[in-house]
This record gives sequence, C-alpha cells and structure tokens, in this order.
Amino acid sequence: MRRIYESDALYRDDDEAHAPKERKRQTTLQSFRHVPSAALSDAFLPQRLRRRCISVDVRSPNSTYRVGEPIPFRVTLRNRAPIAVTIPTASPVLWEWSVDGNVEASAVPLRDPPDEPGRFHFGRGERKEFQKRWDQRFRVERHEWEPAEPGTYTIAAGINVAGGAQTRLRAETTVEIVR
Amino acid sequence: MPPLLEVKDLTVRFYTQEGVVTAVDNLSYRIERGEKFGVVGESGAGKSVTALSVLRLIESPGQIESGEILFKGQNLLELSESEIRSIRGNEIAMVFQDAQTALNPVYTVGEQIAEAIEHHMGYSEAEARDRTIQLLDRVGIPEAETRFSDYPHEFSGGMQQRAIIAMALSCDPDLIIADEPTTALDVTIETQILDELRELAESFDTAIQLITHDLGVIAEVCDRVMVMYAGKPVEVAPVEELYYNPKHPYTVGLMSSIPRVGSESDRLQTIPGTMPDLIELPSGCSFHPRCPFAEESCTRSEPPLTDVDSGRQATLDTPHAAACIEYTEGLAEGLTYAVEIDDSGGDIGAIDAADGTAAATSERDGDD
Repeated sequence: MRRIYESDALYRDDDEAHAPKERKRQTTLQSFRHVPSAALSDAFLPQRLRRRCISVDVRSPNSTYRVGEPIPFRVTLRNRAPIAVTIPTASPVLWEWSVDGNVEASAVPLRDPPDEPGRFHFGRGERKEFQKRWDQRFRVERHEWEPAEPGTYTIAAGINVAGGAQTRLRAETTVEIVR
Repeated sequence: MPPLLEVKDLTVRFYTQEGVVTAVDNLSYRIERGEKFGVVGESGAGKSVTALSVLRLIESPGQIESGEILFKGQNLLELSESEIRSIRGNEIAMVFQDAQTALNPVYTVGEQIAEAIEHHMGYSEAEARDRTIQLLDRVGIPEAETRFSDYPHEFSGGMQQRAIIAMALSCDPDLIIADEPTTALDVTIETQILDELRELAESFDTAIQLITHDLGVIAEVCDRVMVMYAGKPVEVAPVEELYYNPKHPYTVGLMSSIPRVGSESDRLQTIPGTMPDLIELPSGCSFHPRCPFAEESCTRSEPPLTDVDSGRQATLDTPHAAACIEYTEGLAEGLTYAVEIDDSGGDIGAIDAADGTAAATSERDGDD
C-alpha cells in the first residue's frame, strides 16, 4: 500500500523559505518505549535489587512546632533506576506513615486490609510525593483522640513490604513540640 | 417479614497509592417495602459508593471490607457472581446519574431495555419489544413504537433519562436506586422526571433509594432521609422532621444554603470550607473544622449516631438520630441556631436556619 508520504503530494524544498523542509529525523527512534518494561522488569529483576532501586525520604519544613500547631511533612518515594520497578507489598496498603511507631498516629488498628498482596509500581526514574499532616493528636480508642504532650516525636514512612527488608524502604525524621 | 433492605455496619475502602480512602465508614440503614428513602450530602460524602455497594458494583481498588447488605433477609455479599447478576436489574434496579454514559451508543434504546426483560423475565423477543414500547410510553416518550429503534444520540437528555428509568422499571424491581437521576437535567425536566419516578414507584409499589445533593428534590419525593458527611451518616430522620427540626449542624448548614426567592440577604449562606480528604480525616468529629458550634471536645471524640430524644446510641429503629456531641456529652455553649418557618412561601424553600448558623459562621470567618 502506498503511504501518503510517498505520494509526492507535498512539495518540499530546503532552500525555499516557506516550503516544508525535507524530512530529516533529528532524534533516534525510541522503540524501547514500546517494550513492556514493567513486565520485563517484573520477570528479570530480582527482589533484592528492586528494593535497592527505591529510596524513601521524609521531611518536615521545621524541626520545632508549638503545641497544637499541625505538623506538615512530605514523603518522597523515588525510583533511582532507569527501568520500571514494581515492589510487592504485604497488603493492598502500599505504604504507611507513623508517629513513634503508631501507624497514622493511632494506638488502635485503623483497618483490617484484605489478606492479599499489593503491588507498588514505579515508572523509570519516577518520583512520588505525598503531602501529609499530623495534627498533634494520637488516636487512643476507635472514637477517641488525645493531644500529644510537648516532647520529641519520630515521624516515619515506609513501603509496606513483607519481611525484614523494611529498614531499606523506610525513612524517618524527628520533630519537637514545644509550649 | 424481613425489611426490604438492611445495610449493617458497611465499610468500603479504596486502596490507592495516595493512601487508604474510607469512602463509607460503618454505615447502617434500612429501607422498608415501598418506602422512598433519600440519601443527601455533598460530593464525596459516600452516597454513590453506598449505592454501588448494594449492587456489588465496587471496582478495584475498592473493597467492601466489612458489614452486611441484607436484601429480603439474604446477605448480598455472600452471593455468587451469577446469583447477584440475577438480582441486578431484576429485583434491584439502578438509575444512573449520567444517562448518556449509561446507555450503550451502538445499540438502539429499545434493544437495551428489551435485553433486560428477555434476560430476567424470560420473554420472547416480540413480547419484550411490546413491553418495552409500553414502558417507553409510560415514562412519557412520544411515539414510543418509532422511538424503540432510535439510538441514544437521537434522544434528548431528558428522554435518555426517561429511557433509563424505563429500563429500571422494566422487570418490576422491588427497589430502585436512583443516583442523582436529575443532576444533568434542567429544572422543568427535573420536576417531570421526579413526578414520574414517584408516580411509577407508587403504582408499582417499588421502594426508592434516592441519592442527591439537592434537598429540594428530597423534600419532593422522600419519606425518610439520611444525611451523609465524609462517608458517615450524620442525621437520619423522617423528611418533615429533618426540615422543620434539623438536629445536626451540617444539616442546618445545608438548609441555610438553599437559595430562596425573595430573600433579603445579600449573600447566599454557605458552609465554610470543603469536605475533608477521606484519606486524612480530621480527628474527632469529621465536621468540626467547618462547624460554627465546634468546641475542644469535638476535636477529641467522634460522636456516634444518637437518638436525639433519649441520648442513647441509635439503632435502625430510631426515628430521629444525629451524630453530634450535643446529644451525648453535651456542648458547653450548645447548638444555638433557630429555625424560622416562613409560611408565605408555602414550600420547603421557606425554611430558614437563621440565628445560629449565620451568626456563628460570620464569627468564624472573622477569626480566620
């Protein structure tokens, strides 16, 4: 079948100012884009290596906050590898944050996720950022909260992976609450 | 005889990469046979997710995590896929919000309605066609026989919505879940559609769960109302009770934001702020950051749905329940709004939640 660009229907001339130029491809074909990189990386990239590809960071704009002042923090998850990476997680909850070990600042379990694994997918070089806020309260019962006393608290975030590899996929920062 | 529909402690969550969205949290309600039950709330309150849960139409990453949905005493969550398919469109039908999207553009409107009749009622093609034409006629489609062979794009928005209602009625369901059936329509067509829905439900003795964010629509159609906020019920009451004696500050806020013809107020009352992020709900009562009556205690405990008369925790039999600390521990300042009823208007638009909300709202604005 004859293609439209073979038809000579369009007059091209490099020298004439207003005529379309000859077709010259400036960039190389990026056929890799069309390779199912996520599936390939799933098939060939070992688990240990996948975890090495991902970095986790937690930051809060200040280190000291007044009592009652909400504490904002940013969780950044980044895939440092030039290929897509999928991290299998222990449950559909892909990542969690905690204050002094209390998930989402709650002393009671907040939810009972289904007993099935999840998959946290990162594109090549992808950075995922999540803005969160701790309102300086701990959930002590299902429907009760208590304010945090002045002191130092550790805000941590990590990918919800099974086993002991959690340390690599986890980060923390400390903040101080003062009167 | 068991109630038609009983939803008990329903919790629906969506597992997203931003976090876990609790779209419906511990929700319980009951709909009796032939009852018209309204569900009202802002966008994101969990109304549509509740409706989709009843038909088990929640898709990944959503999960019905706990609870029971008893339809005529049978738990729908325990049925197999083929069993639930025999109930969908047959005993429980749904009127979707956007008719144009709900109709398949490559099949004629008539075929789509007839398909449900053939599938669920075992009619022959000719019988299903006759019944479809009758139904199209019943919902007010002119020249129903000719229109049977029209494609959805040949119908106007109002006609498409009527066709969806005809489809919902096609198998004589016991319950119709209407998810904002008139949102995409203009007010004149809205009134016609609501009248038709009500008349049809009365003549077929069908119960309706009507989901809307329009309190006017609720007043026109429903017997009982549940007000939802951030995935939880905040007030459940018979429709007249809710309008003349609202007990939750959120309901009062919704009432005062109804525009009224002839109002002397310069600006329309609104509820300050927006619905919270369902991934990160505020501690305590979810409504407290927007509530003009909020006190310190509201940030520390989340009140359950409580019988407004006795102060006991509400059950499915409680006629009027609200989830506000005022009815459990009590607020130090109390709820200081007043409801003024202007009879001259003669309709629900004449209800005015004056003093409390208006004054307290402006105070809060000043503080901010």
